[in-house]
Amino acid sequence: MQINTDDAILSIHLLVVPHLQASRARLFKEYKEVQREKVADPDIQLVCDDTNIFKWTALIKGPSETPYEGGIFQLAFAVPEQYPLQPPQVRFLTKIFHPNVHFKTGEICLDILKTAWSPAWTLQSVCRAIIALMAHPEADSPLNCDSGNLLRSGDLRGYQSMARMYTKLAAMPKKG
Amino acid sequence: MLCEILQVITRESLLVAQREDLRRVMEMLNLSEQHARTLLIYHRWDVEKVFAVFVEKGKDKLFGEAGVTAKSCKIKHAPAAMTCEVCMEDIPKHKATTMDCGHCFCNNCWTEHFVVKINEGKSRRITCMAYKCTAICDEAIVRNLVSARDPDLAERFERFLLESYIEDNQRVKWCPSVPHCGNAIRVEDEKLCEVECTCGVQFCFSCSSEAHSPCSCLMWELWVKKCRDESETVNWITVNTKSCPKCYKSVEKNGGCNLVSCICGQSFCWLCGGATGREHTWTSIAGHSCGRFKEDQEKQAERAKRDLNRYMHYHNRYKAHTDSFKLESKLKETIESQILMLEGKESELKDFSWLTNGLNRLFRSRRVLSYSYPFAFYMFGEDLFGDEMTPVEREMKQNLFEDQQQQLEENVEKLSKALEEKYDGLEDDNLKQSRMQLINLSVITDRLCKSMYECIENDLLGSLKLATHNIAAYKSKGVERASELLVRATKGNNSISCLQTSSSISATGGTVEVGRSSSSSLNFENGCPSRKRSKREAFGNVLFDLNLPAEVIDKS
Ligand SMILES: [Zn+2]
Ligand SMILES: [Zn+2]
Ligand SMILES: [Zn+2]
Ligand SMILES: [Zn+2]
Ligand SMILES: [Zn+2]
Ligand SMILES: [Zn+2]
Ligand SMILES: [Zn+2]
Repeated sequence: MQINTDDAILSIHLLVVPHLQASRARLFKEYKEVQREKVADPDIQLVCDDTNIFKWTALIKGPSETPYEGGIFQLAFAVPEQYPLQPPQVRFLTKIFHPNVHFKTGEICLDILKTAWSPAWTLQSVCRAIIALMAHPEADSPLNCDSGNLLRSGDLRGYQSMARMYTKLAAMPKKG
Repeated sequence: MLCEILQVITRESLLVAQREDLRRVMEMLNLSEQHARTLLIYHRWDVEKVFAVFVEKGKDKLFGEAGVTAKSCKIKHAPAAMTCEVCMEDIPKHKATTMDCGHCFCNNCWTEHFVVKINEGKSRRITCMAYKCTAICDEAIVRNLVSARDPDLAERFERFLLESYIEDNQRVKWCPSVPHCGNAIRVEDEKLCEVECTCGVQFCFSCSSEAHSPCSCLMWELWVKKCRDESETVNWITVNTKSCPKCYKSVEKNGGCNLVSCICGQSFCWLCGGATGREHTWTSIAGHSCGRFKEDQEKQAERAKRDLNRYMHYHNRYKAHTDSFKLESKLKETIESQILMLEGKESELKDFSWLTNGLNRLFRSRRVLSYSYPFAFYMFGEDLFGDEMTPVEREMKQNLFEDQQQQLEENVEKLSKALEEKYDGLEDDNLKQSRMQLINLSVITDRLCKSMYECIENDLLGSLKLATHNIAAYKSKGVERASELLVRATKGNNSISCLQTSSSISATGGTVEVGRSSSSSLNFENGCPSRKRSKREAFGNVLFDLNLPAEVIDKS
């Protein structure tokens, strides 16, 4: 196969170089911001991978007065090169029973991570949005059909006890 | 009946056609060009729709839905420096831009955003970067910022905007010719029709595939798929053959009991494919117990076979008529040379248009006839209208239709035969007689086509309760030909003065060359949906650069 060097150069020029730089710069800013905000938001702990600035993890506290209270949930962020023009991919690493989270993969169904994304969002504010989603599940666009069905059918207690059980099993430090 | 006004939009007239619609909206609603464009793109270039929404829902609703933000006076006086929320840098005021919606980001981030959106093919609706803000970004700002970074991409942005007139317009379709002739067709009212481009290609305006009436678009789509799929043949093989468990050759079963033997000598059970001995009766094979014998299975096989036969029946006839159509196309030359001969002869008859007319009638009715077979396949089959008719109804309707189809078929063949006659060898008397015969046949076939369409529209498709299938109406004159949209450029005046349809194209106006010359060629490699075509087109002696915004052309 012959590679057309002109095209290759053009596409690098157009797509890769500026965004990579822009996304790095922006992530670096966020990194500094996070260091500063750690004290300010005790519910979120964002950590950047030592070797790869495009990989982040976060520990978030389950919101109080929800079945997730007392749990610590780990999120994994994969940031695309075109960040912040394109949203990061986020999923739960900790098992969670929630109608908008895929039970097996931890994938999250949240509009701001898809169509409603705005470059003005940050990793930190995404974490906040996820905490808000934990407190206010949307039963109408469920990734976890079981919990979605429980909620939709009005079985709030069934949903809560399942969610509570999984929080205890997976998101709480083992005692003893 | 009124004919639709069909127009071909060439590369030359695209800009003008678009500007005409823009101007109407700009004048009526007192808007800038870019806001008019945003509204029109949102409403798929339906000017009447824009006005209707304006009247019914009011200006705010019309603008809000489409993402038009009229310049608000409430833009706060920005401080000398601001922090851009996207890159989080502190930016001096002159390096940041505030959109009409009031959101301000740094020029760098705006540019990045535009570049990404243009590359994603979303040039026509680039929205603001702020969360939940649906405002469409100012065209001029996009143009300026992007061209500072990448002039080629800025040109692509212009092209996308221009081609929106075709891509997003429900009244305009690209001609589907391959290689592409560069034209698009605009219809005035009726969107369900068949059209002919000036390049000669005939197509269905609503689905862009070849003209296919009296099939509905859905029927045609299914039929094309069916013909392409080999699943039918695959079906036949699974129904009629099984592979031998020993040598794997396929073995055909032709009736008889369920023990079959391969030429290699192996016997096996037809139902499960397992190897067996030879000893057997009608209902069992010695030493072989097989639970797969079900009446069901046989019924299924029967059904598949019946369906296949049915398909073959219709396909063969469809194919036969399409083949005849191809053969008859060659008649055109023969007839033309005969007319030349006849005109050279001493004869009472001077006008031989009846010959050409007869030939055209043959072409048209042959087409109708061939497409009537896939139509019948779906109309009287179970795929589409299984629940719409009782078997008795179906049979009655099918008889009614087939009667008409047969009559048409007979007369089309007669017409075809008549046209093979050697007219130039005939004496005047015989020639007159042949002329009468040909004219009669033409009239009859035309009438039969018409009544077949009537039957389809009223008695068959029209009586459906659940499904709606519409077909392009029958036209005695054949598929409607589009004519060029004539562009008349007036010298010195700012706007292009008038749009006209005319079958001949002639350029008026002086030598006006607009646009800058640029030697760079455009790059379409990044998945750009635009058709390839040269950037600068000459039109008569007026040159338009398709990539320039309208204002630039205005100014020159
Ligand atoms: Zn910025
Ligand atoms: Zn905005
Ligand atoms: Zn064409
Ligand atoms: Zn169609
Ligand atoms: Zn064999
Ligand atoms: Zn036998
Ligand atoms: Zn068997």
